[in-house]
Order: sequence, then C-alpha cells, then structure tokens
Amino acid sequence: MSVSTGPSTRSRSWRWTAITGVSLLVLVTIHMVAHHFVVDEVGGLRTYQHVLDYIATPAIFVIEGIFLVVVTAHAMLGLRSVVLDFGLSEMWRRRLERALVVLGIVTVAYGFVLIGVLASRA
Amino acid sequence: MGRAPAPTPEREPGVEEILRARAPQGPVSKKLPGPVAWFDVRSRSTGHLAFSMNRITGLGLVFYLYLHLAVLSTLLGGEDAWNGFLELATTPLFLGLDVLLVFGLLAHGLNGTRLSLIGSGFVPNHQKALFWSFMAFGAILLVYTAVHVFGGEG
Repeated sequence: MSVSTGPSTRSRSWRWTAITGVSLLVLVTIHMVAHHFVVDEVGGLRTYQHVLDYIATPAIFVIEGIFLVVVTAHAMLGLRSVVLDFGLSEMWRRRLERALVVLGIVTVAYGFVLIGVLASRA
Repeated sequence: MGRAPAPTPEREPGVEEILRARAPQGPVSKKLPGPVAWFDVRSRSTGHLAFSMNRITGLGLVFYLYLHLAVLSTLLGGEDAWNGFLELATTPLFLGLDVLLVFGLLAHGLNGTRLSLIGSGFVPNHQKALFWSFMAFGAILLVYTAVHVFGGEG
C-alpha cells in the first residue's frame, strides 16, 4: 500500500530544501571563485602545496566544512524527493529516510577527515 | 452458460482514417510511466521543462559531489598523484566537463532560486517570464565562465 507523506512533512522538507539551496548559492559562489577564479593557471586548478595552504587557512576550513554539511543535506533532501515519487509505503519511506541520514553522515564524516588530513599536512 | 460477446459493429467508411488522424503521432505520445514521467520532456510545457531540468541537473550534481570527493582523495596520495590528476584535468575534454558542471550549477541554482521566490510568495507568480529571465542570465554567466576556464585568466 502506498502512503503519501503528510502536508507538514512535505512543507518542512520543502522549507529545508529551500533554506539549504539559498545558502548554497552563497557557498558555491565562494567555493567556485576561491578555487577557480583567483588562480591564473588553465582551468583555475591549484598546485598541491597551494591546495594544502588554502585548506589550512582557518576561515577557509570553516567555510568548506559548512559547505560540505549544507551541500550534503541538500543532496539527501533532493534524493528523498525523487525516490518518494515512486509512491513508497510508510515503512519503506522510513527506511529510505534512515538510509539517507546514514549516507549523509558518512559523506560528511569522510569529507571532514579528508580536509582535516590535508590541512594537517600544510 | 456464458453469453456470446456482442459482435463489434462494422465502422462506416472513413472512420478508421479519422481515428488514425486523431491518434497522437510518433514516439512523443509514448510518455514514460508515472514516477519517472518528469524525465520525459518531449512536447511538454515550460513549467514541466523547468521541473525536469531541475531534477536532471540535481541528480547530476549529486553524482558530481561523490566524484569530487573521489578526485580530492588523490591529494592523499601526495604531490605526484595530484600532479598526475592536474595533467588530465587541464585537457580540453576535462575543461569542457568543467563548463558542463557550471551549466548544471547555474541551471539548478537559478531555477531553484526562482522556485524559492515563487514558493515563498516574495515575487508574483510569473513562472514563464522568471524562468526565461533566469536562464538568459545563466547563459551570460556560462559564456563568461567558459571563456575564463579555457582562457586561464580572470
């Protein structure tokens, strides 16, 4: 049996998708400009040492960390809404949400380990 | 004992031609089924096109998020591993994929902004005009980005 999610759940998830989406407009702009528009190399890619120095800057580390959390949350909310179109039952909807929470946590944790290790090498 | 089915009445001459003419023409009439119908943009309205584009670019960006994490993981392999990636990433094909990524970001970001503005009631509901205005703005930014990416200077 297919059970649709209630209006409050839908509006809450829509609100969070919009909030994270608007935050991403700022964060993606910072990320893209800082990574690709201030470097004069072709493609705007930094050298190895430049990447380490960049990520070890405390303000950049915090901004990239926030970016990682927000982009992952937005991605998981988006995936949820695409999969919910298949008309999942209440039980499968809960399983999907739990799976996406786990995937999101693993993604954020891996991202933090990655930037943490790189920052420590600078 | 069941009754025999009623015989199909013979159609008048010319009816078959009319029915054939009324039937939807070509593969466009065969839309994808329910949950993935949004994926099929053939002969759809601007609103549907915007919705489909948002989802297709969104799924592409989720894929890119994990690809990006995988690529950045090469930094853990040290300077040689990163230099190897840089050689590959500065080929025209990969620079073209960078521009494709920016297209996805602009299309998804600007369309999402349009949806947020309308959904939250900040702007009147002129969906079509807003959509094409945002896409025109996005096209200008995309051309600027492409010139920058291939030119290598800001």
